[in-house]
Amino acid sequence: MSNEKYYVPHGTYWPIIGSIGISTLFIGFANQMHDVSWGWPVMVLGFAIVAFMMFGWLGTVVAESVGGFYNPQVDRSFRWGMSWFIFSEVMFFAAFFGALLYARVLSVPWLGGADNNVFTPELWEGFKATWPLISTPGEVGQNGVSFSTNFKLVDTWGLPAINTGLLLTSGVTLTYAHHALRAGHRNALITWMLATIALGVIFLGFQITEYGHAYHDGLKLTSGIYGSTFYLLTGFHGFHVTVGVIMLTVILYRIQKGHFNMENHFAFEGVAWYWHFVDVVWLGLFIFVYWI
Amino acid sequence: MNLFVIAILGLIFVFLGSAVIGLLRGGKAGSDRMFKALRMRIILSVLLFAFLLFAGSVGWIEPNSFNLLPTQ
Repeated sequence: MSNEKYYVPHGTYWPIIGSIGISTLFIGFANQMHDVSWGWPVMVLGFAIVAFMMFGWLGTVVAESVGGFYNPQVDRSFRWGMSWFIFSEVMFFAAFFGALLYARVLSVPWLGGADNNVFTPELWEGFKATWPLISTPGEVGQNGVSFSTNFKLVDTWGLPAINTGLLLTSGVTLTYAHHALRAGHRNALITWMLATIALGVIFLGFQITEYGHAYHDGLKLTSGIYGSTFYLLTGFHGFHVTVGVIMLTVILYRIQKGHFNMENHFAFEGVAWYWHFVDVVWLGLFIFVYWI
Repeated sequence: MNLFVIAILGLIFVFLGSAVIGLLRGGKAGSDRMFKALRMRIILSVLLFAFLLFAGSVGWIEPNSFNLLPTQ
């Protein structure tokens, strides 16, 4: 049935479940940070409640959409909501890329005496600007250890290039899936979606392998400004790929259920944009972390 | 050469932005705009990746050679 008025659900219990889940998650996290024995299991319980809430709530929204409760005004609100989410995602990664570029292009060379020499090397005697900088100057200097390092970046031609090829290929397969959906080619749509999901999973497998190599070579989250920004950027990117794979799988399920048609497929478009964005973020990582 | 790579990456983000506008507008016109913008962004991305591999192999770009400030 259609409804001319803006649809407002009544009697929904998902918000209070979400509040309980997030509170449990943070109470567990805070106590885990203080080495309280029950912190870790409470954190896992909170995460499970949040995951249950997200699947349940979004499932309810899908049922409402398929049930015909939404009108064009609701459609517009979804589009605006997705746009603000996209904006927050862009700002999120911009902050981390900004930190990487500021450290690499400005602060580390300044500490080494570059530019007008205002930030002189006397701050830490013997400091020499190198990249990647995998030690924190103050701590290392106090121990009398040299700032210079023999650490070499992960080989650009190895796993990073393979992973870039994998993600870009997944962008191509998703574009074919998008085209198939708009053209009404159901079998092609399902095939290309499966290929996209498979490529995402393979990417994650290689990323875990690369982390193993990097950790084995001595690169940790505490390895100076480079280690911190490397793991923050690639770690959050990997998290986004994981979320993207889950969302693509849900979209594939909905495709098989017949939820979309050639004209009406907003959920597919939202997830497709998200995957393209995650793809471009990796391309940025490949360029700024591994290449230039 | 590095700045050229960054400029192309910027152009890719412009197409992503154009796709968001299409997503926001919705309807047939918005859907068309979004699809075309995303298609352009993947074409540019693949070309940029191929260029990076080529430029690296012939020595046009050295890994981690990007420095704006001269070191004394």
